[in-house]
Amino acid sequence: MKKTDDRFDLPQGTLDLLIMRVVSLGPIHGYAIAQRIQQISRDALQVQQGSLYPALHRLEYKKLLSSRWKPSETGREAKFYELTSKGRTHLKAETENWTRLTDVVSLILEGTLEGI
Amino acid sequence: MGWLRRLLSRERLEADLDKELRFHFEFQVADKVRSGIPESEARRLTRIEFGGIEQIKEDCRERRGSMWLESLLQDVRYTLRRLGKAPGFTLTAVLTLALGIGATTAIFTLVQQVMLQSLPVSRPDQLWRIGDQPRCCNWDGYSQNGDGEPSDWSLFPWEAYKLFRANTTGFQDLAALQAGNLSLAVRRAGTSGPPDTANGQYVSGNFFQTLGVSAWRGRLLIDADDQEGAPPVAVMSFHAWQEKYGSDPSVVGSAYQINGRAFTIIGVAPAGFVGAKMVNWGMPDIWMPMTTEPMLFGTTARLKNTRVDWLDLIGRVRPETNPKALQAQLQSELHGWLAGHLADMSPQEKAVWQKQTLRVSPGGAGFSGLRRDYSEGLVLLMVTACCVLLVACANIANLLLARGLRNRQQTAVRVALGASRGRLVKNALLESIALSLIGGIAGMAVAWAAARLILYLAFRSASQTSWTPVQASPSTPVLLFALGVAMLTGVIFGIAPAWMTSHAEPLDALRGANREVGGGRHWAQKALVIAQAAVSLVLLSAAAMLGGSLHNLEHQKFGFDPDGRYLVSINSLLQGNHKQEQLVLLFREIQDRLSAIPGVRGVSSATYAPMTGTQWGHDIRVQGKPEPGPKDEVFADWTRITPGFFDTIGARMLAGRAINEDDNGNTRHVAVINDAFAKKFFGNQNPIGQHFGPAPVRNAGTYEIVGVVQNMHYVTWGFRDPARAMYYIPEAQTAHFDQPDLQSDELWSQNLYNIVIWAPGHPANILTQVKKALAEVDPNLVIYDVQPYSRVIQGTFDQQNMIANLTWLFGAVGLLLAAVGLYGVTSYGVEQRRSEIGVRMAVGADRGAVVAMVLREAFWQVAIGLGIGIPAAIGAGYLMASQLFGVAPWNPLLLAGTTVLLGSAALVAAVIPARKAASTDPMHALRSE
Repeated sequence: MKKTDDRFDLPQGTLDLLIMRVVSLGPIHGYAIAQRIQQISRDALQVQQGSLYPALHRLEYKKLLSSRWKPSETGREAKFYELTSKGRTHLKAETENWTRLTDVVSLILEGTLEGI
Repeated sequence: MGWLRRLLSRERLEADLDKELRFHFEFQVADKVRSGIPESEARRLTRIEFGGIEQIKEDCRERRGSMWLESLLQDVRYTLRRLGKAPGFTLTAVLTLALGIGATTAIFTLVQQVMLQSLPVSRPDQLWRIGDQPRCCNWDGYSQNGDGEPSDWSLFPWEAYKLFRANTTGFQDLAALQAGNLSLAVRRAGTSGPPDTANGQYVSGNFFQTLGVSAWRGRLLIDADDQEGAPPVAVMSFHAWQEKYGSDPSVVGSAYQINGRAFTIIGVAPAGFVGAKMVNWGMPDIWMPMTTEPMLFGTTARLKNTRVDWLDLIGRVRPETNPKALQAQLQSELHGWLAGHLADMSPQEKAVWQKQTLRVSPGGAGFSGLRRDYSEGLVLLMVTACCVLLVACANIANLLLARGLRNRQQTAVRVALGASRGRLVKNALLESIALSLIGGIAGMAVAWAAARLILYLAFRSASQTSWTPVQASPSTPVLLFALGVAMLTGVIFGIAPAWMTSHAEPLDALRGANREVGGGRHWAQKALVIAQAAVSLVLLSAAAMLGGSLHNLEHQKFGFDPDGRYLVSINSLLQGNHKQEQLVLLFREIQDRLSAIPGVRGVSSATYAPMTGTQWGHDIRVQGKPEPGPKDEVFADWTRITPGFFDTIGARMLAGRAINEDDNGNTRHVAVINDAFAKKFFGNQNPIGQHFGPAPVRNAGTYEIVGVVQNMHYVTWGFRDPARAMYYIPEAQTAHFDQPDLQSDELWSQNLYNIVIWAPGHPANILTQVKKALAEVDPNLVIYDVQPYSRVIQGTFDQQNMIANLTWLFGAVGLLLAAVGLYGVTSYGVEQRRSEIGVRMAVGADRGAVVAMVLREAFWQVAIGLGIGIPAAIGAGYLMASQLFGVAPWNPLLLAGTTVLLGSAALVAAVIPARKAASTDPMHALRSE
């Protein structure tokens, strides 16, 4: 809940993209997804349970993710998420979109604005 | 069907969700323990990090597609359980709603049938009628406006109908039906005893075919039946077949004597089809082809008389027909037809014949006299019923608000535990809608009973000789309406409590104080009470105005004395036994026989008596006066009477003499005129000895005026209009006119339909004795009715009576609901302020001061309500002005009366909680804090 200076809010829809990216690496349960995102972002992003699970359920409802119960590393049963083929296509398209968008945005934000 | 599967596997999904989150929780705790935090501390930290688990679950559920249905089912179950736990509240709310919805639905049952329904025929949208005025029943001459202005034609003679039918290409089929009623005496061939009376209607042979109706039994009329010389046949209505003949299949194909002539009933019209005319008098029992009219009426027949307009025309248009073009074509056909009758026209008619107009109008609803007569009243009642419903809604909204306030803590806890506001609002609305749907179902029962009552009140006078094609039983549109109203009211009264719920603050629950916080909610309740007071005042004042108007109508000066008088309605011609010349003797005998009944002081007959709904009239000419200009109004009503008529009915002679036994076939033709006639045609001149007659001018010498009688209100309408000019001629004199229509009326009018009997002091068995005496004179005489004259007058105002009674009823219900509302809000306020009142009393306020304080607040609300209600009531009075007789919309006395009534009800409603407040024990109140 507390925010430190090196953490920030994710733009709308970005969380879905991050989750799908993490899930694309192999079947994984909710807790591990949150951990992995935090790890990869070097603690800059901390995904709250209140955002993570609704997002997972939404993606599952949209059939971008599928899920399966199986024993986790602790031996307890956990719900593991996987990318569906539809999710894979979606992730690819969205990643391209994202790259294009960030390129264009930085072009404008960091450019010399000589054209004006 | 994923959502369905998810819905069915809801429990597994719920368990999975719980397991998934619990796994996450445990993993997180385990991680913390691994990093060296003690387990109990790790659990505490994790719980804080997690936040509301239920909230997360709710969010997850919302992401799932089945949420709406799943939660709806859950919420419905929850709502019903909650309602079941508060039976008192539920019962009150349901009963209130049942009254409100029932009243509205009952009125709508009638509105739908009278104003909205189409004829039960195929493709009613293709039907168009020629003409747009609801006219009845005969118009004489080549104009349909008494004062010589060009007019809008709505009734037509047979010749014009045949012309339209032959030449108008826009009509696939064009049918004609008699606009008036035809009294019939029907007897199965070979039977004896008094005949059955029935209502007949002449129709063209293609009538049923045009409407697209097929026979229930036998066959219906076809064009071949409607030819001169064709064997006389007739079709019976399903209603008559069922009610009068017990659905006897042998009726079809049997020979009947109809008014003394042999007819064969060839078929029965389908159930539900009552003809193309909706009226509360003379719904047709038997349809006969037009061309049989001369057979029944001989010299008085109208069929070939081009001066008598007596047919309504309705046609089925071809699909591509443009109504405007159709109208233009018909108009030119009308002009063409009129042009062929120039020689026959009066100078006034000649002056305007080229300006005569005709309009076509949608005919899917047929010719509805009911619509004309009852629309205004029904709209008024609909508005009134809606007002009652609104007051009821306000009451339930108040109940819900009070309940919501009481449950505030619970709501706040639910919000704190993660219930989404959307779902709470949905729950609150669901509760209101559930209530209103249950109320709506109960309301249907109320509506059915109320509609029956209204029909009885509105149409009871018609029930003797006719029936009204309106049923109390609900139809599909009515059920849909009730459902719609229930849903709508549920939303209306649910909005305030729902809004309040959505603003519940979880902190309130934590604070735990049961103290009144923020005036906002209380304000909403007060606003509702204010609205109720205002609406009730409008209802009560409307009821008072209508009641006053009815009283004025019934107790106005009619110009005759209904006290101790009786009216007999008969028909002597039906059996065809009486030749025209025997009629005088027949009525002579009737008069003698009835006069012999003990207690009877006078007996006299007339073509039609006052307030019987009949009116005959025509333009007249006065001898020695110049021909009236085209704009002059020279219309007068007339009737035939036997000697002693004015004494019998209690009307005073103003000058000259009344009609007596010496006015017979051997003496000069005389007439008695009324005061309005004298003023209209003679001004200040002495009318006695002057001559006049029906137009044209060559008849001006027909009658010599021998007396002037006071004005009697003869017609059943126009009570605000000046008295109509009228003249009376003796039964025993027959004039001869060259004009066939005048001659027809002259003979026809000798068949007197009414006998007036003066028998003061309620003689025992008078009605039975009259019937017996009449049967002795002639067993074949058809007797429709014997009733006290006061009842005849009452019957005229049945509709007003019904409206006034219902408005009173609605006003009373509104007042009761408003009082209950005020009581509820005041006692709720008192309960909330108990500790405050305790403190006040502890520091020295006495009981009087506490009562005054509570009453003051209650009366503020009522006063504001009155402040809004009084102008609204005056405004409503102006809107109703057309329905009021002798009552001004701005009526201080009446307003003061209703204000006092409302004030007293409010006083009672406020005093009870005020006294309760005053009996607060200060110590007790303070301790409970």
